[in-house]
Amino acid sequence: MQSEDDNLIKRYLEGDQSSLKMLIDKYASSVYNFTSRFVGPLYRDDIVQEVFIKVWKNLKNFNKDKSQFKTWLFTIARNTITDYLRKKKSIPFSSLEDGEWTEEDIEDESILPDEVLNKLQNKETLLKIIDELNDNYKLVLTLYYQEDMTFKEIGEVLGKSLNTVKSYHHRALIVLHQKLV
Amino acid sequence: MNENLSKLFKQAYNHPESRLSVDIWHAIQTKQARSLKIQSLFYGFVGVLSLGGFVLLSFYIKQQFSSSGFFQYASLIFSDGNLFATYWKEYLLSLADSLPVASLGALSFLLFSMFISIKKVVYQYKNQLLIN
Repeated sequence: MQSEDDNLIKRYLEGDQSSLKMLIDKYASSVYNFTSRFVGPLYRDDIVQEVFIKVWKNLKNFNKDKSQFKTWLFTIARNTITDYLRKKKSIPFSSLEDGEWTEEDIEDESILPDEVLNKLQNKETLLKIIDELNDNYKLVLTLYYQEDMTFKEIGEVLGKSLNTVKSYHHRALIVLHQKLV
Repeated sequence: MNENLSKLFKQAYNHPESRLSVDIWHAIQTKQARSLKIQSLFYGFVGVLSLGGFVLLSFYIKQQFSSSGFFQYASLIFSDGNLFATYWKEYLLSLADSLPVASLGALSFLLFSMFISIKKVVYQYKNQLLIN
């Protein structure tokens, strides 16, 4: 069955310009929110614009059998942000070793119990703590909790295995816990 | 998924200014219009070159047909039908031999590229109209 995104892409490639506009309207906020985790306010809009220009240029090469549009879009966003940060000489998404983690004894749910989460009720505090996280952790948390993507989809965006993404998520929660207590 | 953490993250969602998607759309339209203009100019240029080449080559081929004796061979079929009936194999071979094959190939190529260019220019023009 074709998804709504696949239908919009198909219609755009058949000549319906408004379908591309609908895709942009649907995902501009998500890409902006994602970009804002890594890039300062000055260049944020330009990078989001660049991401969608790349999408427009490469839409005819998009293969719906290989990945979902959303995963493909966030992969482009991640690569665009990486290029931007490389130019700025801050190397993203590479400060963690790629080795896969063995599952730890602690359950993800119990790392951040409600008593700890209560300290995070302030939006600014949460944003500040997220900003201090490693780029890979930030990416996993943002896509998992804000974009409702699965670990498998996040793995496609990052180009990492499912277990690596799960371990990034696990470690990110531990770091959040450490910063809160 | 930790539902409470999910709620917290959703609260911390960073929303863009309302104009962002409009700006993105305008940026794409501007690039698209520019790209269509460049392609139209390119195909228009190729079309004009093909037309020029086609006209020049047509005159040259006409001369080649005369000098190779093609017209004389061809006229034989109307002047002496019995001769054609008896020696039709030899006649057709001589007729084919007098054809300027290379020039005709080049002429076909120019004709083909001219039609492709016209098709592309019309397509780009239609797209430009759609954008505007």
